[in-house]
Amino acid sequence: MNIKVLVANRGEIACRILRACAEAGYPTVAVYAANDAGSLFTELADEAVLLKGDSIASTYLNIDQLLNVARATNTTAVHPGFGFLSERADFARAVSEAGLIWIGPSPEAIEKMGDKMTARQTMRDAGVPVIPGEEVEENDEIAALQALREASSRVGYPLLLKASSGGGGKGMRAVHRPEDFDQAAAGARREAVAAFGDGRIYLERLLSGSKHIEIQILADQHGRTVHLGERECSVQRRHQKVFEEAPGPTITAEVRDAMGQAAVAAAQAVNYVGAGTVEFLLAPNGEFFFLEMNTRIQVEHPVTELVTGVDIVREQLRIAQGEPMSCGPLMLRGHAIEVRLYAEDAANGFLPAIGPLLVFRPPEGPGLRLDTGVREGDLVTPDYDPMLAKLIVWAPSREEALQKMRRALDEFVVLGTTTNLRFLRELCDAEAVVNGTTTTTTIDDRWPNGWTPASDETLELASLLAASTAETAGMHRAQSSGPSVGGEVTPNPFTTISRRFP
Amino acid sequence: MLHTFAGPAGEVEVMLEKTEDGYAFNGHQAEKVGDRLRLTLADGRTHFAHVAKHGDVWWVHVAGRTFRWERIEPGSASTGDDGGLVAPMPGKVLEVLVKVGDTVSAGDALMVLEAMKMEHRIVAVHDGTVTAVHFAANDQVVQGAALLELEESN
Repeated sequence: MNIKVLVANRGEIACRILRACAEAGYPTVAVYAANDAGSLFTELADEAVLLKGDSIASTYLNIDQLLNVARATNTTAVHPGFGFLSERADFARAVSEAGLIWIGPSPEAIEKMGDKMTARQTMRDAGVPVIPGEEVEENDEIAALQALREASSRVGYPLLLKASSGGGGKGMRAVHRPEDFDQAAAGARREAVAAFGDGRIYLERLLSGSKHIEIQILADQHGRTVHLGERECSVQRRHQKVFEEAPGPTITAEVRDAMGQAAVAAAQAVNYVGAGTVEFLLAPNGEFFFLEMNTRIQVEHPVTELVTGVDIVREQLRIAQGEPMSCGPLMLRGHAIEVRLYAEDAANGFLPAIGPLLVFRPPEGPGLRLDTGVREGDLVTPDYDPMLAKLIVWAPSREEALQKMRRALDEFVVLGTTTNLRFLRELCDAEAVVNGTTTTTTIDDRWPNGWTPASDETLELASLLAASTAETAGMHRAQSSGPSVGGEVTPNPFTTISRRFP
Repeated sequence: MLHTFAGPAGEVEVMLEKTEDGYAFNGHQAEKVGDRLRLTLADGRTHFAHVAKHGDVWWVHVAGRTFRWERIEPGSASTGDDGGLVAPMPGKVLEVLVKVGDTVSAGDALMVLEAMKMEHRIVAVHDGTVTAVHFAANDQVVQGAALLELEESN
């Protein structure tokens, strides 16, 4: 019997899942908040149900309302995507208790890994190395800050403050000097309370010069747990990834095996089922440390899909229904790179930007994949995450993949909203990216005073010529695009001439 | 035809010449091709530019670069907002770090805003004295709202 899948998410990842369901022949239900009406993902679903409420908490995070929609639409399975409720054990539990299939790991596994402090302890017990640091179990704000301050002197500087319920760089602060500690801790705590409703913070030594390497794992309900190799996601701005690749350019078969085994051990330690990612920091001396496990599909999953040939979302659907996973032994082929296109002003501290997508023309051609939730004419609002799209390329070698990415980024046209396109393009020329020696501080090392575009006076003058000509010639897009207004309709010549086609 | 635009480095004037096929400026040529422009640069290179206008701003994509030029209507005063202490996006004021009369140095944080679930600092663009604070913690601000005023010290 076919499952009917409710996708409890929005935007790009909702589109990815809805398309996978359509390919598998499963009927789908999308849910959307009023400010998402007309979004691409609502059109890709067989049914789209409006969620009542005007905040994220009352819509995409509202478990009762989501379950009511599931019941009203005779849904049989729920996919949470990433973000929102994807790592909320209470949601996983409520879905299962409502008699629906939860497309994800068990609530117990989510709890053990979702609380970063518990996860560190679980991994230590399972023999997986963790970053030196200290957890502070203290709920009272003043006592917590005092305990954190004391722990900071034992952990040493530079250090990283992290929210126990954190993710996506929220509630995270790097602290380089003791005198900055109090303000950073208060800020991290405040952001953590606002984003996750949990202000607990822990400390880790900041391992500079390290690579962020993560292992994709899959586990089915028949006792099989495998890894799908690594992704390198070192290149980050504000602790959010912008450039990801597979395989890792410096990873040898021995390191891959060792990290893969550690990741499988981590998954087995919590009886993990489904798709998940175990994140590690790889130090320059080859030592690696457990960072955290993400108990969900991840933004950068496409690079793994392209080099392994495994459709991770389809495997999630299969595994959740109790079928064995379909992928065979690990085989890596070629090289894949993903960049994240954000509506943001890279030249101004990566500040999020908003505006209309007057023109949105993604590149085309062999070896390209675009995962997006927007299309031309959409409005970028401050309501949600400013990621517009993921552009992914595949080529037989890393060098060719980079060449393809440069070409694709040059072709990508987005007008009306400021994006990080040019930043991504110049990133592809950064020495560390070209050599594969990227670390988590690559962006700060390459642009210590912040990124500004390399200037090109000729193209700047040419763009002024274009703007002036467009103004003079009246090329305002709102007037020139769209269905022809008034005007003569030219009859289709093929209806008026007699001709046979071979 | 004279056009004036405001860009990242201030105002620029463009004296556009009419040519047989289109327009020219500084030795570069432009010709309209559907909804795009064929640009023939002085060195002979050819690029196709995409253009779109939003409000007074022309967006231009050429050769992998995107430019933003705000057109200044002939006769209108230029938009000279040099303080920079405006809300970069809609959001909520989390914390006000200064009060009227405070002396601050360039780079000092003045206010913390929350937008898109992230914290953003509003920093002093020059040394000076705070002469007005228009919002308090928890106030909602719209994009472009003047947040504080800072008198530059000499």
